[in-house]
Amino acid sequence: MDGPRRVRDVLDQLGIDPDTVLVIRERALVTREERLDDSDEIEVRPVISGGSS
Amino acid sequence: MVEVRRHNAAFCQPCFVHHVHETVKRSVKSHRMFGPDQRIMVAVSGGKDSLGLWDILLELGYRVTGMYLGLGIGQYSERSRRVTRAFAEERGAELVDVDLQGEYGYDIPTAGRKGSRSTCAVCGLSKRYVFNRVALDHGFDVVATGHNLDDEAATLLGNTLRWQTEYIARQFPVLPQREGMVKKVKPLYRLSELETAAYAFLRCIDYVVEECPLVGGHTQLRYKAAMNQLESTSPGTKAQFLLGYIDRAAPLFRNEDKAELSPCERCGQPTTGRFCAFCRARAQVLGERLGAPGPAAEDDRQVAGELSEEVLPAELYGDAPVGR
Repeated sequence: MDGPRRVRDVLDQLGIDPDTVLVIRERALVTREERLDDSDEIEVRPVISGGSS
Repeated sequence: MVEVRRHNAAFCQPCFVHHVHETVKRSVKSHRMFGPDQRIMVAVSGGKDSLGLWDILLELGYRVTGMYLGLGIGQYSERSRRVTRAFAEERGAELVDVDLQGEYGYDIPTAGRKGSRSTCAVCGLSKRYVFNRVALDHGFDVVATGHNLDDEAATLLGNTLRWQTEYIARQFPVLPQREGMVKKVKPLYRLSELETAAYAFLRCIDYVVEECPLVGGHTQLRYKAAMNQLESTSPGTKAQFLLGYIDRAAPLFRNEDKAELSPCERCGQPTTGRFCAFCRARAQVLGERLGAPGPAAEDDRQVAGELSEEVLPAELYGDAPVGR
């Protein structure tokens, strides 16, 4: 995905509710207002589980 | 930074960890969940909520032991056990490790195939039974589970949509100790799933991220999705729904808790029938016969009737199935 763009825009394009994922860049959490560059790699980690854990 | 939209706040890492600890302390204190001298058993699955809860209680200085139940779900269970053991070793924490197959003769995939209940239903009742059994056998004062705000709001939504008032009546952050039942508490109930996940990540807790392979598209996930959709347009909806129920509506449902309990004829655990749901499910999976031998015909008819029930009879500590 081309950058730069905000985390919220990336999630919006992917159709992901920001309250259902952690967004991780270089082992740190990033907020939805954080700006991502072209070269950034992020992990979008789901947080919602189907049962009690 | 960690955003918590319903608080209209963003926390730096140390402040977020402090926020989580303070929220749990508040929950423990306001519902008198447990004291510093009591022995707490945390039911751990290897997931973010249960390991996070264990971490929080250790950090807050409580006498807490983890209890892991191996469900026999292939590599998923192997990884869950591995991360749980690693967590305990790293922190020098006590862990009780129980294997469902070893102790009770069946695993969850087999039970799902052979029994009349859904896999999630038999898994839920197995866990509830074994948590209580182990806590009684080891003399724990209280069982703590990692149910979070999203879990509880989704359960409440599902039970309310179908007006299952007996289940609503039994949904509360604390279920008191009764004869044969250890006190059960949910210290994370004020924290959203996003907050518990962020906590586990920031505390560098290695947990199982992937979903149980047997979950499928079950109802709980749909209710969570519905709640999150409401939350996205109106932050705070989940908390208002659940905390409003606890503060104002729970007393109105107390009289709906009508279960009259007597000891299961097989294991002695409290139940509404002759045999508890666990013994019945286990007997069905193992092809065993419940009840004393002969007069066989009457016994068989009664037990067959019990086994054929599609809805589990209300158990005092049954979290509403909601498709589990």
